[in-house]
Amino acid sequence: MPKNWSATGLQSLRRGGSLRPRHPFQSLRPELWTQPLTPWQLQCIQELSSRRLQRMPVQYILGEWDFQGLSLKMAPPVFIPRPETEELVEWVLEEVAQSPCAMGTQDGPLILEVGCGSGAISLSLLSQLPQSRVIAVDKGEAAICLTEENAQRLRLLDRIRIVPLDVTLEGSWAHLLPWGPVDLVVSNPPYVFHQDMEQLAPEIRSYEDPLALDGGEEGMDIIIHILALARWILKDSGSIFLEVDPRHPELVGNWLQSQPDLSLDLVAMRRDFCGRPRFLHIQRSGPRRGCPADAWPGPQPARVPG
Amino acid sequence: MGFDPGSPGSRPEPKAGAKPLRHPGIPSPKLAELLHMSTSSFFGLLARLARLCTMPQGLGPQAKPVLSAPRVAVTMVQAAGKKDRPALPLLDESELEEQFVKGHGPGGQATNKTSNCVVLKHIPSGIVVKCHQTRSVDQNRKLARQILQEKVDIFYNGENSIVYKEKQEAEKKKQERKRRAKETLEKKKLLKELRELSKNVH
Repeated sequence: MPKNWSATGLQSLRRGGSLRPRHPFQSLRPELWTQPLTPWQLQCIQELSSRRLQRMPVQYILGEWDFQGLSLKMAPPVFIPRPETEELVEWVLEEVAQSPCAMGTQDGPLILEVGCGSGAISLSLLSQLPQSRVIAVDKGEAAICLTEENAQRLRLLDRIRIVPLDVTLEGSWAHLLPWGPVDLVVSNPPYVFHQDMEQLAPEIRSYEDPLALDGGEEGMDIIIHILALARWILKDSGSIFLEVDPRHPELVGNWLQSQPDLSLDLVAMRRDFCGRPRFLHIQRSGPRRGCPADAWPGPQPARVPG
Repeated sequence: MGFDPGSPGSRPEPKAGAKPLRHPGIPSPKLAELLHMSTSSFFGLLARLARLCTMPQGLGPQAKPVLSAPRVAVTMVQAAGKKDRPALPLLDESELEEQFVKGHGPGGQATNKTSNCVVLKHIPSGIVVKCHQTRSVDQNRKLARQILQEKVDIFYNGENSIVYKEKQEAEKKKQERKRRAKETLEKKKLLKELRELSKNVH
């Protein structure tokens, strides 16, 4: 093995690589351990290891990674799904399974994902909820393309709508109206506190889109817009599931209390596998208030001339 | 691509994600499933039925209702569906201790490490399982539970465990195949000898 590999780099590349059948490294079957590497294999290793030495994340080097049993294409600078986020999907699935008919019957649930990135959350929900449909939005062009590509790979294009959209822009919710109110909003929004951005590992800082991470001063900028969006596009008793920074449960709770017009309650908090507060369940109570009477087109009425 | 806004509802479908179990700890196979069940899983099912009736000690604390351990319920259903065998004794989450490769900083978006090894311990029996089979922590957690389920079953039920029974069944089949192969070989030999004999006669 090349001497210039750090222990971490070697480990992560070997582990990540050896688990993929199509990648050159999968040919590391025990029978081949005693055989010398071919020139082509050596060249591959050189290229891959030089990228790893430049602190490129393993997922970008391999060009793919797994999430909830799905294999997804990865490409910089689109945000790489984190292992914690798999638990967010698990929680949503549990809630859908336990919820009353509203979510589980025909064509349900209808889910909005904000900040879809590579499409991990949307596609894993679609694949495990055969009747569900998803509207996936992201403000990054590369994310839109990657989600489309992954949806196509997984043959889920027929149940997903991928829309370029910046939810922090005023009136952005109007673009979502045609699809009607949604049952669920799910998101792993940028939630890193701005002052923490420079302390991120080089893998993250140099390769992943900072806009997918930076949540502003208290990491709340995008979260607040998602919550505000609920007024226009979330059904009564609909739910919002978020992944957040461990400091956010309190901040979100306080913010919601200061916005009674939103009719949103922080219903539950769940910890990730490291025991950190990581996920929030917010639910909408009562009828939508402050909503223009004609905001819901519903079934299109026949156009009457004159 | 995608679906159109305002499309009418399609035909009714069963509720997504509905749990199919009626009895905690035992699937209720339909007649068709029973007919198509492999021998080993059929005997396994009978064994499970027998155990439920007699309620041996080892099964007591584990036969909990499915809803108290949602994650394990998913695992259990998966195991039953995937391997076409009767359900293993349920694991109680409160009796498990889980460890991950930690020390990876703040976690969440602020971290990107590929370490995803899960170490799972069953406290009452002391059995420890380590799982690093997939790239996904979540999948590894599920797999670790499945593997632990099997080991705990063997630990408490020994020869009556599903794994052991399946092994016995496989061994029996193997012996049977060997015996038949031997018989066929002997028959061929005999035929050859007879032909030789008849040649000599003429």
